[in-house]
Amino acid sequence: MLPASLDEAVTALAASPAAVPVAGGTDLMGAVNAGLLRPMALIGLGRINELRGWQYQDGTAQLGAGLTHARMGRPDFAALMPALAEAARSAGPPQVRNAGTLGGNIVTADPAGDTLPVLAALEATVTLVGPEGGREVPVSHLLTGLDPMRGGELLGYVRVPLLHAPQVFLKATGRTGPSRAVASVALVLDPGRRAVRCAVGAVAPVPLRPLEAEQWVSGCIDWDGDRAIDPAAAAAFGEYVAAACVPEPQPAGLPDSQPDGMEGGPAAAAARLRRTVSVLARRALGRALK
Amino acid sequence: MTDAVTTNAVTSNAVTSPYGTDPQEPGSELSGFGGADGSPRVSYLLRVNGVDRPVNGAWIGESLLYVLRERLGLAGAKGGCDQGECGACSVQLDGQLTAACLVPAALAADSEIRTVEGLAADGSASDVQRALAESGAVQCGYCIPGMAMAVHDLLERNHQPTELQAREALCGNLCRCTGYQGALAAIEKVAQSRAEAAEAAEAAAEAAAEAADAADAAGPGEQAETADAADPDSLADDSLADDLAGEQFGRDEYPGDGYPVDEYPVYSDVEIPGQQQGEAQHIDHHHPDHHHPEPQADPLFGPMDGLNTEQPPAEQQYAYPVYAQQPQPEPYQAGFQPQAYPQAEYPLPGTQPPGAPEGAEPGVYVLPHQGTHQGTHQNTHAPEAGA
Repeated sequence: MLPASLDEAVTALAASPAAVPVAGGTDLMGAVNAGLLRPMALIGLGRINELRGWQYQDGTAQLGAGLTHARMGRPDFAALMPALAEAARSAGPPQVRNAGTLGGNIVTADPAGDTLPVLAALEATVTLVGPEGGREVPVSHLLTGLDPMRGGELLGYVRVPLLHAPQVFLKATGRTGPSRAVASVALVLDPGRRAVRCAVGAVAPVPLRPLEAEQWVSGCIDWDGDRAIDPAAAAAFGEYVAAACVPEPQPAGLPDSQPDGMEGGPAAAAARLRRTVSVLARRALGRALK
Repeated sequence: MTDAVTTNAVTSNAVTSPYGTDPQEPGSELSGFGGADGSPRVSYLLRVNGVDRPVNGAWIGESLLYVLRERLGLAGAKGGCDQGECGACSVQLDGQLTAACLVPAALAADSEIRTVEGLAADGSASDVQRALAESGAVQCGYCIPGMAMAVHDLLERNHQPTELQAREALCGNLCRCTGYQGALAAIEKVAQSRAEAAEAAEAAAEAAAEAADAADAAGPGEQAETADAADPDSLADDSLADDLAGEQFGRDEYPGDGYPVDEYPVYSDVEIPGQQQGEAQHIDHHHPDHHHPEPQADPLFGPMDGLNTEQPPAEQQYAYPVYAQQPQPEPYQAGFQPQAYPQAEYPLPGTQPPGAPEGAEPGVYVLPHQGTHQGTHQNTHAPEAGA
């Protein structure tokens, strides 16, 4: 089924609750091809033009859930939401970015979803549209399951604040070229509130916000001047973020399975991940304040 | 639901494939999903390379790649990873390069699909395809249809891509043979030749316009036709579509091939009616029912079971000197006869080789070197027999 409007899609979903709404299909078909999913019916959201664009609304940008990653990576978008554009550009090869959508990235909630840490750092809200009408939910509540999607609901729009300040998205991958993130860091400056907001993706099932580290580092920044920061403070921020987001490499009393260190063992892997996150966070802060 | 749905994607259980909902349906077997559980089947029209192709009784979860290859016979797009990682299945969907394995075919019903078969107009390869071949971008060739689509897509958007842009455009097409240098060279070559062609066309159009002006000055004449012919835009789209329609080589359009498309649930690129279709089989060498053929004993080096640690005599250790000692016939000589190398004598099962000890059981023979083996190809060693 290919409904042409969001209302039609909601009605169609109410009529056949077993149907799977599909926008770009990149995650869904991956699961179907791997034999993990056998949808009994599909509701294609690709023809809903109202979801494929974006517009300004009271100082925020209202992004349609059907925006593809390729569209989000374009320069006009990057001028307003640079971190989101960068995440979309690094999300995958062109073949996948042309199909995969913002809404699909949120609803699938893959741990390594690239736009998710950015949306968490931006404190975006999503509009869920159901048979009873729409409701706004912070994206972090949706992702953490604090306020999950209910049956018959579709993700309509994502509201992103326009901060008019530097934003950085950095991603560590296992190879050159587009691939799944090992760890990713999104960092945005909010000069209006004199705040730094940071989120770490791919290290946990949901993007993590190191709130204490954010609060601490925003006190170290000269907001009225040239927004400079001591390099030692940036490095400490990296360590702080990594310590907040990656569990202790070696829990007290538990010996590492391979005590010789870097080669293997969960403790060594955690130590490497901590270091990765720490470097990403330090670099992200440095680039945002440059 | 909408016009598109009522006209194109009619959900219906009544539309059955020739195999019904039999779980043995070969198509479903290949794709890993069947209609046995009553999952809905849909029929729709796909517009591929400008031609409307009906798809009947397809499961909704079938990917565009599967439908193109197995139901429409367009085997250009290749199935690599089925996860959108390799780019071998790249097609253009409404002008956007897309991994066909990640598109539900039923939802591409009113999209314009362009596959690698649509690149070659008039049966001759496109400039991109020729450049890929000439630049050495093709080795095993599996990635090339997807890469040709990616290069076309890049050059449609960007007439003079930098090397970085070219690399970024190819980043979704995995090639493990050639290392991409050939493909990058092909992109440069095509961009250059297209720029030259565009310049030439512009010059020709200017010349034609001047000629037309001159003709107008001389008097109203029939010069309009030449101007029209020199205009590159005068290649009308409808004539191109007609050409492409003739170029479709879906199986159902072979003259004299009366088989419905659905009866070819095979996974191969070139199919000949009546051809035996095979599948790669996994052999479980550890399964108890699997019997290895017994390694044949080599007349020179003894049993080749990997257990024979005894060295053969020094003069038998290397095969090369043995054959080098054979008198080499002079080729291209009158009355040349290819010389037969001495044939090793293999004992038949149940007989004894020359020189076997007296009284050895039939079927169990002793080889010149070590080891006792049954003559029959059984996977059971019988060390006690004849030892």
